[in-house]
Amino acid sequence: MKAWISSVGAPTALTCAAFTLVTAVFFISIGQPAIKTIADMMVFAVGDSYSLSETLVKTIPIMMCALATAIPGRLGLISVGAEGQLHVGAIFGTAVMLVLPESFGLLGLCLVLVAAAIGGTLFGFIPGVLRVRLGINETITTLVMNYIGVLFVSALVYGPWRDPANQGWPATKSFPEDLILPFFFGTRVHAGLVIAIGIAVLLHLQFHRGTWSRQIKVLSGNRKVGETFGLNYAFTALLLMCLGGAVAGLAGIFEASAIQGRLQPGLSAGFGLTGFLVAWLSRHEPLMIVPVSFLVAGLISAGDALQLFAKIPAASSTILQGLLFATALAVPGLIKRYRGRYGN
Amino acid sequence: MTETPARAAPFASLLGICKSFAATCAVDDVSIDIYEGQVLALLGENGAGKSTLMKLLYGVHEPDRGKIIVDGPGENPISSPLDAMRLGIGMVFQNFALIPALSVRENLLLAWPDTPVVIKKIKPQNDPVLKKLYEIAPQIDPFQKVGSLSVGEQQLVELCKILNLSTRLVILDEPTSVLTPAEAERLHGFVRSLAENGVGVVFITHKFSDVKACADRIAIMRRGQLIEDVEAQSIDHDGLVRAVMGTDATSRADPPGPPKSDQPRLQIRGLSAHSRNEVLEDINLNIASGEIFAIAGVSGNGQSLLAEVVAGVHQLDDGDVLLDGTSIARHASAQIMKPHVAYIPEAPRINGCVEDLDLGLNLALRDLSTVGTKPLANVRAELEKFDVRPPDPAKKAGDLSGGNLQKLVIARELADYGKAVLAVYPTMGLDIEATKAVYARIFSMAAAGAAVLWISEELDDMLESAHTIAVMRSGHIVEQFKNSHHLTRQKIGALMTGAHDA
Amino acid sequence: METDLMALVGVWCAATLRSATPLIFVTLGESLGQRTGIINLGAEGEMLVGALAGFAVATQTDSASLGLLAGALAGGVLSLVHSALVLAARANQIASGLAVMIIGIGLTSYIGRAFVGKKVSSLDNLLPSGGEALAFFGPFLQQTTLAGPLAIAAAAFISWWINNTRSGLHWRSTGESAEVTLSNGINPIRIRFYAITVGGLLAGLGGAILSVDYTQTWAQEMTKGRGLIAVGLVIVAGWRPALVLPVCLFFGFTEAAVFKLQAMGITFSSHLLSTMPYVTVILVLIFAHLRARKSSQMPNDLKAVFQ
Repeated sequence: MKAWISSVGAPTALTCAAFTLVTAVFFISIGQPAIKTIADMMVFAVGDSYSLSETLVKTIPIMMCALATAIPGRLGLISVGAEGQLHVGAIFGTAVMLVLPESFGLLGLCLVLVAAAIGGTLFGFIPGVLRVRLGINETITTLVMNYIGVLFVSALVYGPWRDPANQGWPATKSFPEDLILPFFFGTRVHAGLVIAIGIAVLLHLQFHRGTWSRQIKVLSGNRKVGETFGLNYAFTALLLMCLGGAVAGLAGIFEASAIQGRLQPGLSAGFGLTGFLVAWLSRHEPLMIVPVSFLVAGLISAGDALQLFAKIPAASSTILQGLLFATALAVPGLIKRYRGRYGN
Repeated sequence: MTETPARAAPFASLLGICKSFAATCAVDDVSIDIYEGQVLALLGENGAGKSTLMKLLYGVHEPDRGKIIVDGPGENPISSPLDAMRLGIGMVFQNFALIPALSVRENLLLAWPDTPVVIKKIKPQNDPVLKKLYEIAPQIDPFQKVGSLSVGEQQLVELCKILNLSTRLVILDEPTSVLTPAEAERLHGFVRSLAENGVGVVFITHKFSDVKACADRIAIMRRGQLIEDVEAQSIDHDGLVRAVMGTDATSRADPPGPPKSDQPRLQIRGLSAHSRNEVLEDINLNIASGEIFAIAGVSGNGQSLLAEVVAGVHQLDDGDVLLDGTSIARHASAQIMKPHVAYIPEAPRINGCVEDLDLGLNLALRDLSTVGTKPLANVRAELEKFDVRPPDPAKKAGDLSGGNLQKLVIARELADYGKAVLAVYPTMGLDIEATKAVYARIFSMAAAGAAVLWISEELDDMLESAHTIAVMRSGHIVEQFKNSHHLTRQKIGALMTGAHDA
Repeated sequence: METDLMALVGVWCAATLRSATPLIFVTLGESLGQRTGIINLGAEGEMLVGALAGFAVATQTDSASLGLLAGALAGGVLSLVHSALVLAARANQIASGLAVMIIGIGLTSYIGRAFVGKKVSSLDNLLPSGGEALAFFGPFLQQTTLAGPLAIAAAAFISWWINNTRSGLHWRSTGESAEVTLSNGINPIRIRFYAITVGGLLAGLGGAILSVDYTQTWAQEMTKGRGLIAVGLVIVAGWRPALVLPVCLFFGFTEAAVFKLQAMGITFSSHLLSTMPYVTVILVLIFAHLRARKSSQMPNDLKAVFQ
């Protein structure tokens, strides 16, 4: 037992076990049969091709938001701004869609994506510049700016961008087909999945090989020493904040164009915060983010299905996310205490 | 000096104490008695185990073997500093247990057992918590923040804090290492008066001057073992030196020859800068190729800032730093400088390494800003050359001891011959052998033509080896001398404290 | 004419105080936590839980004050999660706070669905009717409940307490250095536990005042980031409870102004107007940092988690 608990995999395994236990307790406390509900959730998450495709659909924005968090996270910055960046990315991308003439083809799609990335970059740049120039904590600014991003979308779709054809429904006109990423096999899973995984692989290489990865390691370990040896913390921090914003911005336009078909309120079901959770669970490792975001997406789509079939409110999946986060934070610390008490 | 009280019973007895950290044995089978009303000087080189021994008595660590008996035959186990305090033992550490953001009075109230629930403003003269402070240091304003006091004043506050607890034994850990000569003298007198009032004092030090000034009894430690335990009168200076250094003690590194030219290589011109707690005003220095230029001063008078400006870490406000005529200073905070000088910073754990990263990467930091560099291939050889223990490239820098970390920094900075060396307290935390090796390395770099700027408090070493000595106080260079026999410790010490102004 | 002006000032002051009151309580609680070296982003979740519990109890019992009590308790209970994670498991404070926030959001939207659309009666106004003769105080007292003066009293008391008592000194020293505090025989973990719990109680109370006394409705995520704004305002107030009051009142004033503008029929996007509090908090943060440049009042132990 003692030897096992010191092994590397112990925290992960124990976290999973503890979370299953916590989930069971939660279901019992809301008067549901715990084991059956947990089994149902697994079926609803990945049980058939439809469930699997719905889980994958949710995996895309979660993975992108998690990557958006992990990029500045490598430098020790705690950005929780993916939600706002996602919304502003969607705004910028939609703006391009609105001004482009019909049938612009692949170039149009690229323009939309680039614009979305720029929008997200902007919302990463602001907290980044406040951090490096004035030392304002990025966690607070990004959290607060999330509300601003969401309200900007509402202001536009209730205001100048509302399409009269919608009969009062607050939404823009629909994205034309050639500005939407291609779908796989007639499902709602779109090419964003490939892009997200591609970004994860690219980031993995960047963060583990080469001079730049070492520079980031040094700067995140000791900023002053990094600067002593000619590294530029401010520039690196700003760059990573912007890059993170760009990735979240892409997630926004994916949702608006491929999933919802237009810009409207309710663009994101809390993907920003979920992405933060995933990034934290994955310890900001891009390749870990890929499977973890899939698992958490499964949790959410199972929650949606439970509402439909078992009349359990979908908010239960939010609670479970919170409990998962709490468990993942508690278990390693408690293991460390245990180890400390019984000597290595 | 009164006769030491009758040796009825020791206040504390340490019997056969052993303590190891990881593989190193810090205290090896030490037995010693400590009496009230007596000043015991615990003498030894850095790393001899003096502090560890006393931390065992104070409950910071628990001994692996052996027994500590305090205050008579009853069971008085000490497993934490709180237990020690309850038994009347107080310890003043090198890092004071004071909170800089709080006032002197608030710091004293924190530790005082009789602090009332509601703290009223009382006239300082009538305030019981300030009684000791008024006896020892009436010049300190009790409502001033501790952070704005000098190090010497902070030490007095710390001492008051402990005396407020009706302490019977006071342990002072290298108390004079942070003091000016004048402050140290005052402390010696104060320690004597404590002993005359029946308080036991353990004075941990590596300076012979402390021992001569106030010790009743001298205990000498070397490599974790107690070598001597004698009355102060019964040992002379040479005996002390032999006991501390061991018989095989060798002399210092050979001092370097005079600089070959007086053509300035490292120039500081009209330099002004400021940081949160230090300022520099109009500093002008010229250091020639091969010259060893020492700056003496009480720490906190601008030396740290000067070092960081010269190293290109901290931004300057005015003036310039030139190396062979090219500016190497950071003129704006957005400007990032590549490392131009070999830089041994103070507090290497914070300023000289990345604790979370391995030794290999820590050795390669100088090349970090150059894109496309590969990690060092011969890391192990390099570590062994500079005697970094353990020489394991995969080990994290944070796992090294202070002395080995210092050697790691020196291995990185002094591996190649460069144009200039900036060394800030370079021998701090090193034993005699390592100290000698570091000096030898720096001197050979000077001999090869480097300009050496050496910031230190080791006046004796400076007087022995530096070509030029400048004294820094309150952000100014107050005086600059060519080194010669006429220059004395006392003269420099007086300049450091500004005593000649009075 | 002059009495009209005074009456108008009275109305504005009342509106400012009412909209600032929930924020004052949350910010006070957060500033206490940060003074002991603990940052709690979970204040948002604790506020939500307090708002829902307060609202639920107030509708069931028809007693606003019971509702406020229940709200405070609910906030305190949720804060135990933060204590457990941060103090027992030594988890990252920011991550732990966000976990508490997510749990709070999830719990309240789960349970809160049953309470959407219900109504409660607020605390009684300090002056039921009459008193129009009093130029300023008449209109002011007519639109003020006990919660506002209570918030001011709380700020005054906490400010006095932290600077003038032994326990206040212990809290301050814990925030500066847990290590030194421990060396003086004071248990910093216990103090931090108290601080997180008191912070939770105050956040819960603030939330309950928001739902029961101020808006008198329950809506999902109705706190709209007030708990997070509070974390920023603590910095703006320089970690001094006495300054929490003016900072929050300024905030309440901008919020009241937005409402008044909308009521006056300004045809400006209500969504853009709603961004005001968030834009304001970022602007005041910028202002505070420009002024202080380096926040030297920041409790030293807080710097480790939160630069």
